[in-house]
Amino acid sequence: MSSLNIIKILIALALGITLGLAYGWIIEPVEYTDVPPNILREDYRVDYTLMVAEAYQKDFDTDTAARRLAVLGSEPPATLTSAALEYANRNSFNEVEIQALQDLLSAMQTYNPQGSAP
Amino acid sequence: MISRLARNTNLHILFALLIGLGAGLWYSWRISPVTYVDANPALLRADFKDQYRIVIAAAYAANPDLARARERLNLLGDADPVAELSAQAQRMLAAGDSFEQVRPLANLATDLTQGFASNPIAPTPFPTFNTPAAQATSAASETPAPVIEATETNLPQPTTSFEQTPLTPLIIETVTPRPTFTPTAGPGAPFALVGQETVCDPSEPAGLMRFKLLDSRRNEKAGIEIVVTWDQGEDRFFTGLKPELGHGYADFVMQADTTYNIRVVTGGSFVPNIVAPGCTDPNGVAYTGGLLLTFQQP
Repeated sequence: MSSLNIIKILIALALGITLGLAYGWIIEPVEYTDVPPNILREDYRVDYTLMVAEAYQKDFDTDTAARRLAVLGSEPPATLTSAALEYANRNSFNEVEIQALQDLLSAMQTYNPQGSAP
Repeated sequence: MISRLARNTNLHILFALLIGLGAGLWYSWRISPVTYVDANPALLRADFKDQYRIVIAAAYAANPDLARARERLNLLGDADPVAELSAQAQRMLAAGDSFEQVRPLANLATDLTQGFASNPIAPTPFPTFNTPAAQATSAASETPAPVIEATETNLPQPTTSFEQTPLTPLIIETVTPRPTFTPTAGPGAPFALVGQETVCDPSEPAGLMRFKLLDSRRNEKAGIEIVVTWDQGEDRFFTGLKPELGHGYADFVMQADTTYNIRVVTGGSFVPNIVAPGCTDPNGVAYTGGLLLTFQQP
């Protein structure tokens, strides 16, 4: 077999790989269902955190708030709330919402799951 | 000979193309599939969706912004958000969750059905903290924060835009005078027994006591707790947990020859001495009938 033919075969192989990757990554990528909340888009994560903060405004239950935040990932609840507060400040959330997030952040910064908050 | 070789070469090229295609697909689907980030709440696993609904209902209980709650529920992509709320409330009760945990879901389902908030927005006092005002700072400068295990079950369709809705409703003042004012009972007004019907239907379960709870506008009300007591026990349940029968519907199976006392927790209505009625079918055979109790707010 001539070297030209070998080159043609290699080109065909590379073309096949390229087509396969394009199809698998772009045209028909793996579809995810049943995803965990830690890959939610940032605005959804922030809104979820805001809901937790709003609920906290009513019951002041730090355990429940921390447990609810935990579904967003393995980061500490204070880190999650801090990120949400930064997003809220950047995106001009209203005062009530920012206050709710600040209150939740204060609670989460002092939250101790083994005992009562100081 | 030459044409055979050329034919073989073409076959080799085709074969290489197919091998490459297969390898590319294998890599892109199995080895390194597309990694999802920025997912939509509608893609969440069912238990996380449940958690999401709980948090939506809890936030709504604190800030009764019905439009916002509805928008948040729509993110989950449920065909019928009210039915999902009711079904989740049933699942939670069946799993042994407390009524207090279920109540926000039932209340939100009720408000979504009736189209307005049962409890008007009331300013909630912010908690007072002894710690300095919180700053949005890096977690590295904070006290080491605990990692919590998620124990609640719950939650959020692709590429729909999500818009923040105002937390507080717009209040438009009008100066149009009202000629008359008719006082109406508030959402927490007591329920009164307005109807007690005997139901003799052999096709129904014996001793079935059905409840229908209505507000002053005769809209069915979900999330109302009812307590049934008798000499040997007590049962508690909520209206709205069988939405297919009505949001204000609940039922309980009575035993023959047992006297029951009914208490509607909201408003404190009390109905004593309820017994299952006796009925007779067309063949003259006696059986235990049922009751339909209708309660309504004034």
